[in-house]
Amino acid sequence: MPPRLCALCNEARAILKRPKTGQQICKECFFWVFETEVHNTITEAELFKPGDRVAIGASGGKDSTVLAHVMKTLNERYQYGLELFLLSIDEGITGYRDDSLETVKRNQQQYDMPLKILSYNELYGWTMDAIVSQIGKKNNCTFCGVFRRQALDRGAASLHVDHIVTGHNADDIAETVLMNIMRGDIARLGRCTLICTQGEDTIKRSKPFKYAYEKEIVMYAYFKKLDYFSTECIYSPDAYRGHARVFLKDLEAARPSAIIDIIHSGETFEVKEEVKATQKTQQTCKRCGYMSSNELCKACTLLEGLERGMAAAAVTERARKKLDAEGPAPENLRTIPFYQQAHPPTNAAGLPI
Amino acid sequence: MSCGNPTVEGESIMPRRKKYDKTRYCVRCKEAEGNIVIRHAVYCKDCFSPLITHKFRKGLEPSINRKPDLSRRTALKPDGNLLVGVSGGLGSTVLLDLLHRCYVSMDESTMPSDGGRQHPRHERVWKKVTVCYVEMCDAFPGMRDRTSDVERRVAQYAGLDFVPLRIQDAFDPEWCRKVHASRKESSFSVDMTTEELRLSAIASSSASTPLQALHGYMSSLPTATAVPTTVQTLVRLLLLHTAVQSGSSHLVLGTSLTSLAVSLISGISQGRGYNLKEEVQEEWVPDDSDEPCPPGSGSKQGGARARKPYVRVIRPLRDIGRKECALWAWWRGLNVVGKEQQPWSGAKQDIGILTREFITGLEKDYPSTVSAIVRTCSKVEPKGRAGGLCALCARPIQDGVQEWKSRISIRSRDGSQREPSPTSATLTPRLCYGCHTTLTSRSSRPAPSLGLPSSDRSTVPLPLWVGSGVPRSRLSEQQMKDAVSEFLLEGDTS
Repeated sequence: MPPRLCALCNEARAILKRPKTGQQICKECFFWVFETEVHNTITEAELFKPGDRVAIGASGGKDSTVLAHVMKTLNERYQYGLELFLLSIDEGITGYRDDSLETVKRNQQQYDMPLKILSYNELYGWTMDAIVSQIGKKNNCTFCGVFRRQALDRGAASLHVDHIVTGHNADDIAETVLMNIMRGDIARLGRCTLICTQGEDTIKRSKPFKYAYEKEIVMYAYFKKLDYFSTECIYSPDAYRGHARVFLKDLEAARPSAIIDIIHSGETFEVKEEVKATQKTQQTCKRCGYMSSNELCKACTLLEGLERGMAAAAVTERARKKLDAEGPAPENLRTIPFYQQAHPPTNAAGLPI
Repeated sequence: MSCGNPTVEGESIMPRRKKYDKTRYCVRCKEAEGNIVIRHAVYCKDCFSPLITHKFRKGLEPSINRKPDLSRRTALKPDGNLLVGVSGGLGSTVLLDLLHRCYVSMDESTMPSDGGRQHPRHERVWKKVTVCYVEMCDAFPGMRDRTSDVERRVAQYAGLDFVPLRIQDAFDPEWCRKVHASRKESSFSVDMTTEELRLSAIASSSASTPLQALHGYMSSLPTATAVPTTVQTLVRLLLLHTAVQSGSSHLVLGTSLTSLAVSLISGISQGRGYNLKEEVQEEWVPDDSDEPCPPGSGSKQGGARARKPYVRVIRPLRDIGRKECALWAWWRGLNVVGKEQQPWSGAKQDIGILTREFITGLEKDYPSTVSAIVRTCSKVEPKGRAGGLCALCARPIQDGVQEWKSRISIRSRDGSQREPSPTSATLTPRLCYGCHTTLTSRSSRPAPSLGLPSSDRSTVPLPLWVGSGVPRSRLSEQQMKDAVSEFLLEGDTS
């Protein structure tokens, strides 16, 4: 039997079955189709303007390593005119993050991009190891997630960039759509399929891999022989997200288009106007100046709980009341430095790419 | 069962979790000991009944009058008759029972106590109530025909008409003639091996029997998920057309809160996010003016100016969970025919079944999941403009879905190849995202084997309602051109 030809170029021998479409294609066409879909995502959403300073949120894992590689490739191929940076957050997890940061440092050399590392310890005075030793493994992802978001924004502000891109892939987004529906989180449901989110004061954040399958990202890294760190976090993951992830993998096995179909579903609806009206408006945290939906932002509440030895305060309503009953925060409480977004010199007149 | 080791028995066994939060007494009457826990609240048997009839009425009555009426101050005057879709499952058994008690036998215990015997609410709301059952055993070899079982159950209730259908009626010109009155027949077949889904007209000489057409269609479906989804769509459309034929303005279905949550998540997972609203409640207007009018609507408005017929699909059990349905059936001594397990091998690869297993599993640890899903979905609305109705499922299509698909998943290096050729008609532009995915999305596993006699043709016949729009739109273009032809300058053929 003659070798099967690539379904895209009809010339080379097909060597892989594309997880997203099931087509049998050659290696070169795989690179082309993967990169072109990301390019389409970027241009369709008009994510960047020439001259933009863009930070790539880099963890050393597969998603961000491939993202750095693809961003560099596309920036050169299509002349986006972007200035690219690597931005890493050191959560302080011994045996996990210290190793993965080594990978990021190698990426810095390989891709020739400036790297900034900001640590939880530096910003909040707490490492994740210290947090877990106080609160245990349950709920620690709440702390890590809230702290990382703010840390990324602060790191980006210090680099004077106007845009952060993260390696969130299609699987992550589909999983989040399902989770937000099952948990009734309307505010996040409205946001989670947006490719780019931007509050008034925050730095733009976007997900160029929004439609890229996790399996294809791994495949891309494999064929390009990219250097990435593949260990899962040593602290137990969010149990609820775990359920959603297993379900999504089952759906993908039943019909591979399910991931993209869920994202499509998420994009076709929006929160009703009358429901939006009941949602809290954004304000700034009175303690650290970061965006918040309450007087105190989530990070400040979590930090106060940690400092006062009542870490559950921001996690459960009952614990929060107990904390309030103990009186106001002491004067000498450790707080997060006040947040000020540096306004970088942007190419305001530039047309979107 | 005892393991026989005395040291681990007694105190060392983990304490059993309490089934209720605060009190074991009924939250309504506060006197009787409770018999059922509905998400944290305890109810006794006597208070359970009015609770369920109240939820049932609340789920149905605000949608009976043409204009939705939430305060329910006006009398209930539907525009036509009522069609009840039953499957023989738990939900539709409970639905039929509640419906008969509240609106046919007019059981007084189901009505609010105020107003007296002469109150208008003691008049029958629907003049004619028809029950329709669609038998699907012919799509799955080895499945038992349960039409007579269902018919017997329905016959236990006086005053209901029974209409049995078979799933292959969707391909039967006889049935089509019956429900479509004077509509011209046009049947099409589709080539499911390509993304474009090319259409060709079927010559009446080569037409197959409805059963052969059904088998051809079912065995061409590419995935295990597509099979039950297609069955559901066929059943839904058969019911809608039967509703119009029976002069019904309302079609009620026995979807419980639990089944609704499953169908919402399963729909989202199949790309049907744009139609979440229709999954809860929808209003269908047949696209043909030659459909028979519901008797209730025409006569009152005066013959020629009769209102266009419509069918409102309502799920009055949407606030009642599966557990409550089961208890209602148990206490009322209802006999549930039950649904046949689909005997074919691909069931574990079906997104619908995977979703049901996932949600019922999650509900055990997180008991509010089902209601959270339904509540969340009721807070969203479709985004953007609708571009007509889907030829297969008759639900709104979002504009630009095909462009979206081709941008997100590139399937060809040459963009022009994707342009459908103008000479041959294709089904793709007339389908919603979900139906297009059902017919074209493949899995790495081979297509499901239903054990049906395979068709030797490359194209398979479509359900007959799909035919209506295809030649008409092309014909009308020609008609439009004819109408303006005298104004066109010579040589202008564009």
